[in-house]
Amino acid sequence: MTLLVNGEERKVVIEPRTTLLDALRIRLEDPLTGAKPVCERGTCGACTVLMDGEPVCSCLVLAADAEGHEITTVEGLAPKGELNPVQRAMCKHDGMMCGFCTPGITVTLTAYLEENPGASREEIKEALSGNYCRCGTYPHVFEAALEAGSELKEGK
Amino acid sequence: MSRLLQDGGPPGPAPDGKEWKKTSKDVNGHPEEHWILVDVDDGGPSWPARDQMKVLNRDIQRIDGADKVTGAAVYSHDVRLEGMLYGAVLPSSIPQGTYTLDLDAARAIDGVEVAQDIAGGEVRYLGQAIAAVAGITPDHARDGLAALGVELEPGEWALTKEQALAEGAPSIGRRGNRREGRARGDIDSAQSAIEGSAAVVEAEYKLPVQHHVCLETHGVVVDYKGGGEATVYASTQGTFSVSGDAAEILGLKEPDVTALVEHMGGGFGSKFGLDIPGDIACQLSKETGRPVHLLLDRKGEFSMVGNRSAGWQRVKAGCDASGKLLGMQAEIETYGGLGRGSNPGLPYIYDVEAYSRVQASVMMNTDSSRAMRAPGHPQASFAMESVVDELAYEVGVDPLEVRKLNLSDPVYHRQLDRVAAEIGWSLHENKTMPGSGDGWTATGIGFAVATWGGGGRPVCQVEVKISSDGSLAVEVGTQDLGTGVRTYVAAIVAEEFGLSVSDVTPRIGSTRYGAANASGGSVTTACLAPSVKSAAWAARRAFLAKIGAARGVDPGQLSCSGGGVVDHSDEAGGLSWSEACALLPAEGLSERGKWDHKLAGNGVHGAQAAKVEVDLKTGAVQVLEMVAVQDCGLPLNHLALRSQLNGGMIQSLGYALLEERVLDPELGLNLNANMEDYKIPGSMEIPLMKAIVDEDDTRQETIGMAEAAVIPGAAAIANAVFNACGARVRELPLTPDRVLAAMGRI
Repeated sequence: MTLLVNGEERKVVIEPRTTLLDALRIRLEDPLTGAKPVCERGTCGACTVLMDGEPVCSCLVLAADAEGHEITTVEGLAPKGELNPVQRAMCKHDGMMCGFCTPGITVTLTAYLEENPGASREEIKEALSGNYCRCGTYPHVFEAALEAGSELKEGK
Repeated sequence: MSRLLQDGGPPGPAPDGKEWKKTSKDVNGHPEEHWILVDVDDGGPSWPARDQMKVLNRDIQRIDGADKVTGAAVYSHDVRLEGMLYGAVLPSSIPQGTYTLDLDAARAIDGVEVAQDIAGGEVRYLGQAIAAVAGITPDHARDGLAALGVELEPGEWALTKEQALAEGAPSIGRRGNRREGRARGDIDSAQSAIEGSAAVVEAEYKLPVQHHVCLETHGVVVDYKGGGEATVYASTQGTFSVSGDAAEILGLKEPDVTALVEHMGGGFGSKFGLDIPGDIACQLSKETGRPVHLLLDRKGEFSMVGNRSAGWQRVKAGCDASGKLLGMQAEIETYGGLGRGSNPGLPYIYDVEAYSRVQASVMMNTDSSRAMRAPGHPQASFAMESVVDELAYEVGVDPLEVRKLNLSDPVYHRQLDRVAAEIGWSLHENKTMPGSGDGWTATGIGFAVATWGGGGRPVCQVEVKISSDGSLAVEVGTQDLGTGVRTYVAAIVAEEFGLSVSDVTPRIGSTRYGAANASGGSVTTACLAPSVKSAAWAARRAFLAKIGAARGVDPGQLSCSGGGVVDHSDEAGGLSWSEACALLPAEGLSERGKWDHKLAGNGVHGAQAAKVEVDLKTGAVQVLEMVAVQDCGLPLNHLALRSQLNGGMIQSLGYALLEERVLDPELGLNLNANMEDYKIPGSMEIPLMKAIVDEDDTRQETIGMAEAAVIPGAAAIANAVFNACGARVRELPLTPDRVLAAMGRI
């Protein structure tokens, strides 16, 4: 089948049971390993990618069902090598420690703040309620999200 | 007689890294006194004064931040190699017994390349790896696991203390199921001190098993194709802890096995050595002659790679009317499964002259506990801080003051006063008796303190390399667990050379670089930072010597500053960094550094306060605010320090309110071996947090602090719940039912 990932058509051989996460991380010829397998049952959000702009847990989406949809992974958020406002703010506020949850959080926030740049701290917490971080980076992630939100708002 | 050429003080402000020194010089036979510029660190490296630092002692952005937010950071889980197989492990679903395996059906599956017995037919603990397979994709490996024929013969097991100590209990440890530790103190004086007390508390405190829940599961990728060399991509806290065991299994010599740790997804004390999945991966790789990727699945992660030991502590303690602790008797039991568990002992940090304690570990058929961020300390802290708190309310004295009364170290007084001020204790109404709220909710504040070593030792071998093309690199095999090691390694070198962090390339995470400590015990900063500093210092001196020789100038007249080299002998003199490096010989320059004790310290404190809201109808506890004040000697990177402090508080919030392994004590089923039933703190649980680096600690020495940060939070939250509503919950986590029970509502 063909997956439309980060603006490119990518041929990939899958089985009917192959998840989008495995298709991206394992089956693609040049794999995209940004999305992480952590709980592999939709609890932790580490595998979050965008499907037609909406965040999904790629461990819960069958690769076959992703055909014909536009998939954006964390690798596709900064296509020209220039970080997006969320990525910049995450770096500035140290919104990461070990970094294993970071791709999922960055993708979730990018999608959410595009639509809700004026989100409050409480709204940002809710938007991130499906993304677990064990290192406990949340306060710095909230700061990053608030700053990225106001930058996006000004840009609009 | 010497003659002073320049009267008064030094001729002007000294440039970076230099100081004026008065010295004698012979001029035409006449000794004269002169002011000359010398390196501040003339007698060896020393940390510059904090206000002189240009890079360190500030917020430094993580040097690999962009890699982490773009998915470019490669973890062991992400390694993809030609011909690589994916391994999977079957954990035992019984805690004790025997099994037989039929591997044929699994081996017959197209795409399953190997299936092996792992435990030799005998199970000693719930979740033990009994079989492993490897296939061309993870799906094939799972197919292989599903096709394994497993016949389990349940034996006899003990999963609780009562079961382990019952008459006729199965023998788990070689020296019995209960192992006595050393008794301390004097029971007679403790008893008589307690008898003479104005108030006495006697209570039991219970702790659950807490899991590490590393987001990247334990495991490795072994790149071995049957030749004389191998590479192990390891998710580990110790780059140098992996190769030896891997070499032994693969039949190679240790130097022929390279371990790489570019990024790793969390360890918290549980990731050292080749470990169970690494051991299995090497076996599968040896068997097939192909690279093997074996990172545990989530169930395996909850089953076989450790946890924070559970525990039980019975305490009897008394104080005088002012709250001064007079005597304490403690019985401590640790439950570490097949391991011993840990507890540093009571009265923990507090001063109690007359105390006695006995300590034992009870073994059970569960996986061995491991070090988990400050092993044993949150357990001891919960009991001791609860006791101190209970006594304070018994005698009706402010629990903050009672803490200070029983802590002789003035640092604790300073830190407790600070957290109290930050959280608004002085304006809080109920200081000496619990509140009752408004009938619906009640708000309370609680406190606790911590201690940790965090000192260093000579182990790291660091090399700083400067090329004639201007590149500046620092190499050491250490690993970055997410604490920001990679960043401060570069930042220390940048500070030394008057450059920016981005001018320095740190190369870490490989056994091909110089030796480094494994990151346990918060020792990395005190082991590594001084060694990096020494190497940078030596490299700067060697660099200036070469530049001086090339320019015909005394190197003492040169300094690295402002992104270049300043020549103080020549008013117009100065070189850009690249001009200076171009004067180096073609092979560049390389210097090594050794650990220098003057640069490292030991011993940190730490105080935390929590403000909670208790729902009086449901017993649900919400943490509203947490404050931490933490000393660490010389702060290298304030931003990373605050990240570590936040992380410590959040993990202790999980320990206080959410986290507990639940086993079925009869069938031996792990009932919450997944991330929806085993709760770790998520964004909605996060309170307002203040992470404060204690800058009143003026020691010019680097000291680790990350473990201290996780110790006091749980006790502070439990004490805040009591302060709010009078519910003294003596068992973690503080679930709503326990809170309601403590209020006498159920």
